[in-house]
Amino acid sequence: MINPFDHLSGHGRTLLNRRSFLQNTGLAMGGISLAQLLAGDGLLADQPQTVSGKSPIRPQFDPGNPYASRKPHYEAPAKQVLMIYCPGAVSHVDTFDYKPELVRLHGKKPPTVPAVTFEGPSGNIAKPFWQFKARGETGKMVSELLPNLAEQVDDFCFFHSLHTETSAHPQGENFFNTGFTMEGFPSMGAWVTYALGTEAAELPAFVAINDPRGLARSGKNNFGSGFLPAAFQGTDFSATNPPANLKRPAQYTSQTDRQTVDLLKRLNARHLEKFPGDADLAGRIASYELAGKMQTSVPAMMDLSAETATTLKAYGVQEGSDLKKEYAKNCILARRLIEKGVRVVQLFNGSDPAGGNGITNWDSHQNIATTHPLQAEIMDQPTAALIGDLRQRGLLEDTLVVWATEFGRMPFLQANGTGRDHNPNAFTCFMTGAGVKKGFSYGESDEFGFKAAVDPTSVFDFNATLLHLLGLDHERLTFYHNGLERRLTNVHGKVVQEVLA
Amino acid sequence: MLARWIRINCGVLGLWACFATTTDAQKVDFRRDIEPIFKTRCLSCHGAEKQESGFRLDRRAVLLRGGDYGEPAIVPGDPSKGTLLGAIRVTDPDFRMPPKGPLLSKTQLSLMERWIKEGAVWPGQMGKEVGRERSSHWAFQPVVRPKVPGPRSTAGSEIDAFLQDRLKQAGISNSPQADPRTLIRRVSIVLTGLPPTPEKVVAFQAAHQRDPGKAYEELVDDLLKSPHFGERWAQHWLDVIRWAETNGSESNMYRKNAWVYRDYVVRAFNEDKPYDRFVFEQLAGDTVGMGDATGFLVSGSHVPVATVGQEAVARRQARADRMDEIVQTVGASVLGVTIGCARCHSHKFDPISIQDYYQLTAVFQDVEFGSRFPEYAEDHPRSVRARQLQKLIDAQRKLVRKTGPWIEDWHNLEEFHFKAVETKAVRILFTRPYVRVDELEVFGPADPQENVAHQSTGVEVKSLSKFDNARGPIDLINDGEYGTQAWNARAPKGTKERPWVQFTFQQPRQIHLIRLSTNREDFYETDYLTGLNPKAYHGYRVEVQDGRGEWKSVGGTYGIAGQNKKNPQRAKTIAELDRLIEQLVAEGPQPSFVGRFVKPVKTHVLRRGSPENRGVEVFPAGLDEFGSELGLEVNAGGVARRRAFAQWLVAKDHPLTARVMVNRIWHHVFGQGIVSTPSDFGKAGALPSHPELLDWLAAEFVAPTREAVAPWSVKHMIREMVMSRAFRQQSAPRQECLAVDANCRLWWRFPARRQEAEVIRDAILLSSGSLDQSLGGISYRIHNVKKRYAQWEVVDNHGPRTWRRLLYQERFRRVDDQIFTAFDFPDCGQIRARRPVSTTPLQALNLLNSPFVVEQTKLIAERAKQRVGGDVSRQVNECFQLLLNRDATQQELAACRKVARQESLAIVCRALINANEFVFLP
Repeated sequence: MINPFDHLSGHGRTLLNRRSFLQNTGLAMGGISLAQLLAGDGLLADQPQTVSGKSPIRPQFDPGNPYASRKPHYEAPAKQVLMIYCPGAVSHVDTFDYKPELVRLHGKKPPTVPAVTFEGPSGNIAKPFWQFKARGETGKMVSELLPNLAEQVDDFCFFHSLHTETSAHPQGENFFNTGFTMEGFPSMGAWVTYALGTEAAELPAFVAINDPRGLARSGKNNFGSGFLPAAFQGTDFSATNPPANLKRPAQYTSQTDRQTVDLLKRLNARHLEKFPGDADLAGRIASYELAGKMQTSVPAMMDLSAETATTLKAYGVQEGSDLKKEYAKNCILARRLIEKGVRVVQLFNGSDPAGGNGITNWDSHQNIATTHPLQAEIMDQPTAALIGDLRQRGLLEDTLVVWATEFGRMPFLQANGTGRDHNPNAFTCFMTGAGVKKGFSYGESDEFGFKAAVDPTSVFDFNATLLHLLGLDHERLTFYHNGLERRLTNVHGKVVQEVLA
Repeated sequence: MLARWIRINCGVLGLWACFATTTDAQKVDFRRDIEPIFKTRCLSCHGAEKQESGFRLDRRAVLLRGGDYGEPAIVPGDPSKGTLLGAIRVTDPDFRMPPKGPLLSKTQLSLMERWIKEGAVWPGQMGKEVGRERSSHWAFQPVVRPKVPGPRSTAGSEIDAFLQDRLKQAGISNSPQADPRTLIRRVSIVLTGLPPTPEKVVAFQAAHQRDPGKAYEELVDDLLKSPHFGERWAQHWLDVIRWAETNGSESNMYRKNAWVYRDYVVRAFNEDKPYDRFVFEQLAGDTVGMGDATGFLVSGSHVPVATVGQEAVARRQARADRMDEIVQTVGASVLGVTIGCARCHSHKFDPISIQDYYQLTAVFQDVEFGSRFPEYAEDHPRSVRARQLQKLIDAQRKLVRKTGPWIEDWHNLEEFHFKAVETKAVRILFTRPYVRVDELEVFGPADPQENVAHQSTGVEVKSLSKFDNARGPIDLINDGEYGTQAWNARAPKGTKERPWVQFTFQQPRQIHLIRLSTNREDFYETDYLTGLNPKAYHGYRVEVQDGRGEWKSVGGTYGIAGQNKKNPQRAKTIAELDRLIEQLVAEGPQPSFVGRFVKPVKTHVLRRGSPENRGVEVFPAGLDEFGSELGLEVNAGGVARRRAFAQWLVAKDHPLTARVMVNRIWHHVFGQGIVSTPSDFGKAGALPSHPELLDWLAAEFVAPTREAVAPWSVKHMIREMVMSRAFRQQSAPRQECLAVDANCRLWWRFPARRQEAEVIRDAILLSSGSLDQSLGGISYRIHNVKKRYAQWEVVDNHGPRTWRRLLYQERFRRVDDQIFTAFDFPDCGQIRARRPVSTTPLQALNLLNSPFVVEQTKLIAERAKQRVGGDVSRQVNECFQLLLNRDATQQELAACRKVARQESLAIVCRALINANEFVFLP
């Protein structure tokens, strides 16, 4: 059979080699199990091959049942993650990062900025396009662009000093979601499900809900498994689009399916007799059972008919633009999945250009005054309702919600333009829910919102914190690939202790 | 710390001169003056115990070479060079060195400077120049052909002798030989990726009964001769180098004619091209008429300049990223080491320094991601055709030249020909208010290849700047960059003025041809986009400056039609010329995404991998650990660099090249490598389970002992492996062996495994009789024609035009084909030396419900009926034969007959293709 420990990497293999070495030198160790070998932390600790010097913690699972729920590295507040990802780069200076200096200097040349930014020459400073107001008990200043989310700021934990490594969208999406600007690295969701499996035995462990308009600019890479086993890639479906091939083909009946599966079981049983106890064969048999269950459980998730009129109204399923209605349904789906214990849900609000209302995501090089509101109309109410609903149902007790985008936008306009260019030097994201402080803002950008100034936070730090909240040490959650113990945080990142509740 | 320090060191070195101290009559004594400083202030972090940033101050050699960041710390005799003095001069608390305690005193600093100036004399260590300690890691030692253990007679082949030696030590033994049906199914799939047809199984079983050994040997030789052999082994190679037909990144655009490289690889394996030659051609095929082979160099993903952004910093970073992709490709595929780690600092585990890394980038400085017309051998059909047509074109041009200027349409590329004239300057005056030109080239009769208007010639280019768009300034017109990097001019409404561009040469030039385009990239490099850029410049007039500075027209677009009317003979000649050009565009060599070549620029170490932080200049070389000298001249061009490096790679005594390839072959034959990390032979990789066997194979690969076998023959190595007893064993588990070696690292049985996506799909098509077995050519399409910035969508993944081997499906980065991608098909983002094997419910759903499966199961059932007639039992049995190469058992027959009657025979097939037996290699 194939190596059942293929998912193990350097260490695992070194141990296996060590094991065969011991066997082959005549020290019979036939009885000792790999698990026993792995369990000896001492054995693991003398492996020097990680850059951090910390030994990896390998999730142990049966290859036939890769989704079985597993313990985190240590006790932690969050058991699940919901990431709301806004492709295109939300303008921090027009939403959550209040910069009065921009009002004062409106129309003036910015003091110290590069002559050329991502799209070309830079123009003059522009004040926020929307009024800021103090909100909630904390008095957090938030603009009128996002009135619904603004109501909940007392529960949010803002990161205002984020900075990233690129000013191009796809690389920025890659970097935020996989820790690398290049393609082909495992996504956050893949890492988390690789480590923790899932509680929802009849649903995919990691669900990616794409925008109604389609995939984001990095496409599947945002929720791919990279070099991790394909079992950990995000399964993408939305409130209106089931996963490919989930449905029974029209020409078959339920009887057909039962006959097929029965016959298949019989064929497999006979085959298995020749390979007693083989985990891969058994795993494949089990995967058909899970597939069968998914054929019922996934459509059940997508069916919103049991939702009350109040819920539908709160999410905004009935009013506003068509895209908003669709996105609102996706928000309800996200809540239902979290409710069922799905480990990671990633909800996208924006896509690669693909039609709809003329805009496709938060990108706003021109006419930010009209494009940002179009996108905000879709995102604000349903997202706020989703977070509120999770809170009301007590799900935020052990769910971490992350609201994210790949970078910010410039405090000045593009030369002779009406929009803001990409700003990788400063941007804002927030977390809320399990394990993070409420009504808290961490870090600051400079007085223009041009550059992270106080407590600059890298995307690595952000992701290290995210993993930490799930009980995962970002330096020990590794997978050997092509010469290195790879991590979500490359060789960087530190947990931002200040935001922990 | 040093890393942070290095960022600001340039400024500090500048200051250094101010601190220069007066000479002292007495010479500095290392033991008395210097060593105590090192000992008390430096060695706790940079000494024997700890080497922060890979740097230590107790070895002179390390000071000369530098630490992880690859800069010499001292240059004996020259205190203005090296990083040490700068580091200890810094006073900024964040960057100072030493980081704690008082700063070094002025006296200490001055002693240090004088010590360096006087030659950095270090008693006892003077013999150890920059020379390095060689690594003792197993894979970097020379291959020595080991003695074959034990008596040959019992073992079978040499491979078996090595394996059995280890099995004996472990107290276990081989498994019995597999039955003929299993054997033919296994060896057919391993060698060609296709299971045998029922007819072949019958014939083999008969032959096997007569003479098992001979029958098997003949079968193996037949399979090695099959054209499907190359298809199967090309797939493995393409995985490693993550080859794909799209760029990746945002627009993920199609790479036009990139498939010619895939066909090259198939051909190379089929022809059993010696591996050293195979490697050479992929690096420097342009020098030997194998231009398609260089697709290897640009197999990774890249971000086209249009989506990198306008910032110069981002552009430099993108170029560095592209070089990194090339270095990774070469490192992972041929060398089997992870060189990428050394991009930012010297490798943590392996003896690969940051200089090594940048020396390698120097080798590939002339490579750029893009398309060119591949160099083909003289006798290549497209070369022959091109020569024939070019001759005819030249003849027509000669005729038409006498009659005045003319225009040739080369598809998205226009040529304006006129009578040769010597001039100091040429200008092109456009007739319409909007002009977009990505490149305008000017040629003369002297050298048909030399663009005398390219910015590197020092030509002065000028236009009416008030018309120029900020994103399309005039200097993009002659920067050698095609595509979106275009001059973009628009005359304001109401004005009569029109855009123009003027080139002033450094000295007068003979010119006779102007070539211009709006977006040459769209034609050369990509396809399947809606809105490929059309021509956006329309009419123009060309003027040259005479000796007195007067402008004189040499013609333009306006007069051509009139001239043709006046001169019907000329019109006829031009029509013939147009026809020939059309023919050449279609039948000559095609622009193909196999890389393009640019002029190499100086290469520097990029500290911490940042192009904004350039370190010392480096020159093309191999890896220092294996003797890096390439014997190149100082100013060697790109071709010479790549050629020399390729030769270095395939030198017979290179310790990695042969080992890595034989292990790769072993991995694909036996399911896992002797080294289970096929692209990492470094310290972080796995140790070989059978080091001597690996070396025997490597030695046999380079210098075969078998009669009439050529060196570096891949087929020979595969033959050796599949002829072994180990390969022919049964795959069933045995408790006593499982207890000792559960992972089958000793090969006490043949390890069965789930087959790859390709094998599953191809076998289904073969069984239904629908597989189109033709070799090579353009990939079959499953995707839409998309907008430039949109994601690809799968529109037809199952119709008849997709019924070719999966190798020929469009291989697009990170696009899910909605059926077989789920079977661990690589996303082509990163190197994939071996595919993971995972089991997911999506695989089950795809193999139960996809339209492909629904359709194919019907076809298999129909075919079975056609072959055996109306009897249901025979029909069921035929389906077993077609899909599993065996008869159904009585029980199976009974169960299947029931399903066939109540549902259909197609549903029996549906169950069969989902069965473990079908998807596992026996």
